[in-house]
Amino acid sequence: MKVDEQGLWAIFRWPLAIGAASAAGLLAALLGDGAWDALSWLLLAWPVGWCLRGLHRR
Amino acid sequence: MSPRALRGWSWVHKWTSLVATLFMLLLCLTGLPLVFYEEIDHLAGTRIEAPPMPPDTPRAPLDTVVAAAVAAFPGKVPLYVFAEKDDPGLWLVKLDTRVDTDEREELLAPIDARSARWLGRPVFDEGVMHVFYRLHVDLFAAEAGRLFLGAMGLLLVLSIVSGTVLYAPFMRRLVFGTVRRDRSPQLRWLDLHNLLGIVTLVWLLVVGATGIVNTWANQILQAWQAGQVAALKRSAAPPAASIATAATPIQRAVDAALAAHPHMTLSQFAFPGTLLSTPDHYAVLLAGATPLTARLQTPVLVEPGTGRVLEAAARPALATALQVSQPLHFGDYGGLPLKLLWCLLDLATIVVLWSGLVLWWRKHRRPQPLSHAIGAAR
Repeated sequence: MKVDEQGLWAIFRWPLAIGAASAAGLLAALLGDGAWDALSWLLLAWPVGWCLRGLHRR
Repeated sequence: MSPRALRGWSWVHKWTSLVATLFMLLLCLTGLPLVFYEEIDHLAGTRIEAPPMPPDTPRAPLDTVVAAAVAAFPGKVPLYVFAEKDDPGLWLVKLDTRVDTDEREELLAPIDARSARWLGRPVFDEGVMHVFYRLHVDLFAAEAGRLFLGAMGLLLVLSIVSGTVLYAPFMRRLVFGTVRRDRSPQLRWLDLHNLLGIVTLVWLLVVGATGIVNTWANQILQAWQAGQVAALKRSAAPPAASIATAATPIQRAVDAALAAHPHMTLSQFAFPGTLLSTPDHYAVLLAGATPLTARLQTPVLVEPGTGRVLEAAARPALATALQVSQPLHFGDYGGLPLKLLWCLLDLATIVVLWSGLVLWWRKHRRPQPLSHAIGAAR
């Protein structure tokens, strides 16, 4: 989808959020087992979800 | 971004990627099955497991365990004894021709922790998984191969950084996540490359950087050992008695180390002269209980002559980095779902590498300045 010219914040806010979630997900499973593992799966599923969505043919 | 800066970053992105892509594709493809090494080993029936026994079955002293391993491979000397985190009934004893070897002729003897029986020869050095492993770790070229792959990893990091800078001009007029499928294959590849590249960015940076640190494992461990030996010399400990005579039983050395650190468990035992000990001391490597602290080994040195426990110097930062790097590279610290996510992120990386190659190839065949591609993106 096309929009008017965007600034850096608009371009990078979602990538930043997903990157922060990935980092937190990578860390969470290191800190403990059980709930920490589940939190890690949830957070890392976010970037994976975008990959699947991008590859999906509509 | 000025056109000059854009050209500069494009140049960096193009060349770092072109040089590294072939090797990165190889690493992604071989890394994929390696994520599931344990599961594949288990399914193939090649994984050696301790036979089930009641949990309160008494355990054999470590000295008997090591003796069983040496008896199984006469002429070899023991280097390390590893505890298996997932199988407390098993010890793995690593043997080789000398203690200070490059471990090219290493042997791993699995010994039952209760009966001290040798459980057979694990198949580590043959089969397709071993080929994947060597291609992934050193390209069958030992130290030179490791360092070469580390250098390719550094190029990957440069390529990721330059790719992130270039993401902005391409996305100026596009909503995050857009993949234009109906225009041209070129634009579809470009959008896929940008989307998958930016969402896998942090994961790939972490796996790439920790992979680079892992290629320096030998150098980091050697420096750590040298530092420990130097610290012991400074502290002017009395010279240790010869190991051959009056050696303290290793079980007693381990018990003494555990008594000094009651909240830790035994992770590994290292004989004198190996990379993890000193020429004159046993090293008892203790670990904590969480997934992170279980990877952070604290060495406790024990004098073989007297059985005296010496506190080793604090772990240097690089050694900590190496030990934290291992789980973060392997993805083996959060159960099977984390491994599956690792596998999907690895596949996404393959798409990023492949789409980058396709974009370069198409442009290369039909020369078209980059500004034109950005124009088309507008």
